[in-house]
Amino acid sequence: MIHAQQLTKRYGGSTAVDAIDFTVEAGRVTGFLGPNGAGKSTTMRMLLGLDAPSAGSVTVNRRAYGSGGAPLREIGALLEAGAVHPGRSARGHLRWMAASNAIPAARVDEVLDLVGLTDVADRRVGTFSLGMGQRLGIAAALLGDPGVVVLDEPVNGLDPEGIRWVRHLARRLADEGRTVFVSSHLMSEMALMADHLIVIGRGRILADTSMADFMTHHAASHVLVRTPQREQVTRLLADHGVEVTEAGPAVDPVLHVHAGDSAAVGDLVSAAGLTLHELTLVRSSLEDAFMTLTADAVEYHATTQPEGVPA
Amino acid sequence: MTAPQTLPTNPSLPTTPSPTPLAPAAVSARPGLGAALRAEWIKLTTVRSTWWSLFALVVVGAGLTVLLGAVNAEWLASPEADESPASFITWGMMLAPAVAVVLGTLVVTSEYGSGMIRSSFAAVPSRGRVMLAKSLLVAVVLFVVGTATAFLGYVGTNPFFEAEGIGLPLEGDVLRAMYGSGLYLAGLGVLAVAVGFLVRHTAGAISILLGTLFVIGPMVLLVPGAFGEWLDKLMPHNTGGALSMPVSFNPNLLEPWTGFAVFLAEVAAVVAVAAWSLRRRDA
Repeated sequence: MIHAQQLTKRYGGSTAVDAIDFTVEAGRVTGFLGPNGAGKSTTMRMLLGLDAPSAGSVTVNRRAYGSGGAPLREIGALLEAGAVHPGRSARGHLRWMAASNAIPAARVDEVLDLVGLTDVADRRVGTFSLGMGQRLGIAAALLGDPGVVVLDEPVNGLDPEGIRWVRHLARRLADEGRTVFVSSHLMSEMALMADHLIVIGRGRILADTSMADFMTHHAASHVLVRTPQREQVTRLLADHGVEVTEAGPAVDPVLHVHAGDSAAVGDLVSAAGLTLHELTLVRSSLEDAFMTLTADAVEYHATTQPEGVPA
Repeated sequence: MTAPQTLPTNPSLPTTPSPTPLAPAAVSARPGLGAALRAEWIKLTTVRSTWWSLFALVVVGAGLTVLLGAVNAEWLASPEADESPASFITWGMMLAPAVAVVLGTLVVTSEYGSGMIRSSFAAVPSRGRVMLAKSLLVAVVLFVVGTATAFLGYVGTNPFFEAEGIGLPLEGDVLRAMYGSGLYLAGLGVLAVAVGFLVRHTAGAISILLGTLFVIGPMVLLVPGAFGEWLDKLMPHNTGGALSMPVSFNPNLLEPWTGFAVFLAEVAAVVAVAAWSLRRRDA
């Protein structure tokens, strides 16, 4: 379990992480989502004891990082940019890590096999592709068979097969009861991987919710209506307090009805004896929802007008 | 650089449980200095720069000594000679410090350059322990290789001197210069590790160290009077370096062991500042 309390990081005048509170529970994949520069990596560095918080604290299994036994057996991390010496072989890198935490050397070959790097284990890491570097980072994270796994932007540079593999790996680790904390700036990736979502923007937590709730609350939807009687339909819906906008090509526009229930719209229109050619519920993508949410954060900071920013 | 290679896919991976489950975190013992030393030893021996540095140390330290000894043996034995043969028997060890500095610096700054320092501190959260382990290993390696190199230079040079009737027995100041070379290089390695942690940048750290040893060092001779003489005595290449030479080229220096004690104090001061800063700064 990871627990942050009023965690704050300031660099000079700017605040990278602004008094955030969150808990990452065991047994599920928690996504840590935010645009670049939102404070994700800073938070993860504080979590690993690499950067000292300006205020507040973050603990792993209720202890500050490194205050327990062998740290790599408790928490494994894939760090940004690999954090590997380019002149060393993959095996050499894992060997020193294993030695530093008294992990049996045999485990090195196991994790190399686990991430599919056995064939290139003795090649210098500097010759690796981005995806192979990510796999090595994941091998390093799993080296100590830790109960808490932290992956910072794990799918960066991976091919589709690799992305799928990371997704399954995260799922399996969570199913084994581990705490899995995955950062990303890609909403679509989080939607497929995470059970729980913590959204960060400008150093503040914008949402801390289950993925299902996030989709219900933030993925706005509308009903697309195609009809030969646009004016009548628009007037009818407006009379019922439903907002309607015209969209699509000027020669054959469609109506965007800002309601979440396509059946209700259809019933209303047919009860009035009007004709429909198309009636479709369109759910906006999570990417859009994410953009809207983080755009709100920017607005919030710029105007100090809290408007629809969920805590 | 070879082209990125497509990785073999292994569809069975995600469902393969780890064959040897490790002990749960709660009962794992906290690894100590021994584990940190083993880790640093693996790091040191798995990069090419270490082997290149040590190879260069032997070539410069022993090779140049033999070369200059062979070329100058006849002159040293002649009545015109105004230098003693003993001052030539460790000649190459005057340049070996440059190599020791590069080795000690790279052990630290290569980690900052690649971002690996984060892996290091994540694996060993006690930063003082990481610094201690690196310093100890660099010191031991440089002492052993430095002493062996000085001895190799002696063994290679002395036959030329003996042929001219000016051979030197391996005793007294000559013997002291052998392990003195190792001790001086070990001290420089520790200094370079400390400067590496302070500066975190390979070019910056090496420039500062080589500048202090080889540029500012000789330049203080330009400072006039007793103040200049004392500055000259106290420059690290002079305080520590005297121990690595049977007879010094510079008559102004402190006694070898006195100088080395001052050198160790200078190194300790830099190490203390580096250790303090290491604890305070973000990685």
